Amino acid sequence: MRCASLVACFCLLATNVLAEDNRTVLGPTNIELRDGALKLQTGDAKEGVRLTLIGLSQAIDGRERRTAKSNLCAGYALLEDYATALSYCNEVLADDDRYWRAYSNRALVYIKLRRFDEALQDILKGEAISPQAKTLKAVRKMYLDATDPVAPSVIIDDRPDTEGEDFNVD
Amino acid sequence: MLTSSRWLLSTTLLMIALTATATAEDEADVTHLLDPAAERKPLQTVVPVYPSRALQDRVQGDVEVCFSVDREGRTSRVAVRKSSHRMFEKPAMLAVRASSYVALQEHEILSAIKTCRIFRFRLDPVAIEDPADPSVSGKP
Repeated sequence: MRCASLVACFCLLATNVLAEDNRTVLGPTNIELRDGALKLQTGDAKEGVRLTLIGLSQAIDGRERRTAKSNLCAGYALLEDYATALSYCNEVLADDDRYWRAYSNRALVYIKLRRFDEALQDILKGEAISPQAKTLKAVRKMYLDATDPVAPSVIIDDRPDTEGEDFNVD
Repeated sequence: MLTSSRWLLSTTLLMIALTATATAEDEADVTHLLDPAAERKPLQTVVPVYPSRALQDRVQGDVEVCFSVDREGRTSRVAVRKSSHRMFEKPAMLAVRASSYVALQEHEILSAIKTCRIFRFRLDPVAIEDPADPSVSGKP
């Protein structure tokens, strides 16, 4: 279940990046970069990384390079090659420290490496840039599941209500 | 074509994520505290879903729902009387609407007094063993 969630988090990043590109780029795009992202979406990390590496080599501008490296960070993380994943995320953030998707990806890598303090720092930085990002919310949930796991429970109380009972729960 | 396939893929992945969430919600522990003096006895009690957003944000809360129960044991006129967070209100109301009570016998009189039920949504800490930690390996 956790694996499926992880794939979904990374893949949504890839989808968002492509969607962003589709809105603004006219004419032919980087086909390998696009196909690599689609492979990552389906969980085929090996093929996704292979295509994205080709896409990176053919990148025509900084934006494509940033997208490729961010997706490579996700792809290598899915392949459990966390050192390589981190290096790509670090490269993206060295070029653009406002790219919240790379913070999100790197936070996931840190979670997998159980480097929770660094994961939280990246989540906070990402949230500061994009407070409403759904993927960051999912990453935060994964962080909390790893550091503060909880099990939901429901108490159904049919007993007469205590008069004036306060419902102030966190 | 590509746009539609991308939409399909992301939808599929979202479905996977949502299925995982629903499964987690279904696994909520349930405690039902009955009122032995109550006139109406529950027949089928539906458990509300723990809202995924509340679970994600680690929010707990209480909701008191009051409602009428007809002769056949069906609930109606369901309304929230008190709640700590709005996000718990809808699942609580849905649960009450889907619940039922034992029908009255012919000679029994239907009370006009509303029935109330409190739902307490809680998050219990869970201990997870770290497989990398040798102190929890179980070996002597």
